[in-house]
Amino acid sequence: MDIDWGWIGEHTSQLTDHAVIHLRLALLPVLFGLMISLPLGVLCRRWGWLYPPSLTIANIFYAIPSLALFMIFVQYTGLTASTVMIPLTLYSLAVLLPNVVDGLGSVAEPVRQAATAMGFGTLRRLVQVELPIAVPVVIAGIRVAAVSSISLVAVGQLIGQGGLGYDILRGYQLDFPTQIFAGTVLIIILALVTDALLVLLQWLLTPWARARRGRAS
Amino acid sequence: MDQRPYKDVNRLITFEGVTKRYPDGTVALDDVSLEAPTGQITVFVGTSGGGKTTALRTINRMVEPTGGRVLIDGEDVRDRQPAQLRRGIGYVIQHAGLFPHRTIEDNIATVPYLLRQSKKQARAKALELMERVGLDAGMAKRYPFQLSGGQQQRVGVARALAADPPIMLMDEPFSAVDPVVRAELQAEFLRLQAELHKTIVFVTHDIDEAIKLGDNIAVFQTGGKLVQFDSPENLLAHPSSEFVADFIGQNRGIRSLSFAPTSELNLRDDLVRPVGGELGDTTGLDWILVVDDARRPLGWVRPGEVTGALSDAQLTSVGPTFEVGASSVRDALDTAVLSLAGLAVGVDESGAVVGVAGGTDLLSVQTHGRDDPGHRPHLHKSAAAKATEAEADALSDDHVPADTGGKDA
Repeated sequence: MDIDWGWIGEHTSQLTDHAVIHLRLALLPVLFGLMISLPLGVLCRRWGWLYPPSLTIANIFYAIPSLALFMIFVQYTGLTASTVMIPLTLYSLAVLLPNVVDGLGSVAEPVRQAATAMGFGTLRRLVQVELPIAVPVVIAGIRVAAVSSISLVAVGQLIGQGGLGYDILRGYQLDFPTQIFAGTVLIIILALVTDALLVLLQWLLTPWARARRGRAS
Repeated sequence: MDQRPYKDVNRLITFEGVTKRYPDGTVALDDVSLEAPTGQITVFVGTSGGGKTTALRTINRMVEPTGGRVLIDGEDVRDRQPAQLRRGIGYVIQHAGLFPHRTIEDNIATVPYLLRQSKKQARAKALELMERVGLDAGMAKRYPFQLSGGQQQRVGVARALAADPPIMLMDEPFSAVDPVVRAELQAEFLRLQAELHKTIVFVTHDIDEAIKLGDNIAVFQTGGKLVQFDSPENLLAHPSSEFVADFIGQNRGIRSLSFAPTSELNLRDDLVRPVGGELGDTTGLDWILVVDDARRPLGWVRPGEVTGALSDAQLTSVGPTFEVGASSVRDALDTAVLSLAGLAVGVDESGAVVGVAGGTDLLSVQTHGRDDPGHRPHLHKSAAAKATEAEADALSDDHVPADTGGKDA
């Protein structure tokens, strides 16, 4: 495979633009997924009966191929960014919901009781005790959701939403491997950098878990 | 308006016919009435399923009774918002329940933060409390997982004390640590209580812990029934039912000697000889206790084995001694059993011999108590006295408070 490095050099600003669009299309759904799964996870912890049906519905969406989901949503939202982002939000939800529920479940019962006995109200306990303790498990979920979303969003090009998927498809149509290569490598780089940033974020947010790992090793 | 007369100012926590019945019909508390007095340690003890923890939790409204009421200083706890009420009541639980995501100092400062005290003030208080519960100030910035179980439990106690609540609820706080650490924690707990005089309700399944720590003991039976509420010494001497007697265990007679004071013993002086003195008349004596110029015990010797001066005699080690007044008759009996001569040596604070007692002398104290069922506490120990005793227990392997060398303090 011959890579035309000169082409890549000439098209850096175009590739950068595509990368930015790509990230936006990929990560906004993760953010929306998190915004839905946090309150939903809290409710599922509170009323246990809510969790199985919620997870089942999320998993059904997850099981539908992305292409099929895009086709379904095209009928309602047309060839817009929403058509790409709504399915990706549903996928993120399916990944994040169990992690939010498990994360909240990772709060030891004595800790929860101590918080109550110290005089924390329900909301304050959630915000100051339970959610912070859930952070490592939730971030583990965000990492999976973010990386798979960055990879999946390339398919969004089929309904003309741009991003690096454009370069892969265009390269194929023009039989120009360099552009396919550039798009693919950039997607991998975006995924790895995003993942690294999330690891860093967790490291910064959870010094206490750091200490725990240090002790375990 | 509650017209209850405030005749007893010492009454702080009152249970009035408290009942907890769950929707499925299980009764966790069955018409429990008792008073936990101010500044004392009241222990709830009983078999599992006896409702002791449930009873504890009705005080800070973590459990709402279905009948009766709980009063603090004559005020129904239900008149106060749960969160507000709880910020004024310290709470310590079995596995400490520290917040893993907060540093030790921030864990301790939890309630001051909730009460909107400044961070600086709350942390200063936290450091002071760490010292008080025997934690190195260098641990302030560490996280709970970096601490041992015993250290975590100390943090738990400090956290409960941080807002200086008049009441402390402790739910099996020392059950999850090994026996050596437990004895240390118990000793320090009593030392703290001697300084702080909190009103404490303490739950345990361990009757020995209850007797060691409690000023009053409430025994709960399966089904949430309070079967006896009494002082430890009365509980041991006069269990109200077969259940209580069984629960207390086989050797309650010996254990009740823990509450008999050694100050009332008739100590013998006739077999004590100064090392520089004469052997004198030894008729009827099996052993002679040789003491130095300051009357500190040097050793035992049989009169027949003394040929020359007492200072040249081959002495047998005295072994452990007991401190007259501070030690209980049980401690004294223990030293008698360990002694080769079968006699307990009583010393004063400086380690000087006061006198000697044999097994029958020691047991006569208890006989006196048995003859008179109405006889109230032989010895009501102050928290300070208990603390000294418990500390000695924690320090010495053979559980004998005063040793031959005498105490430094």
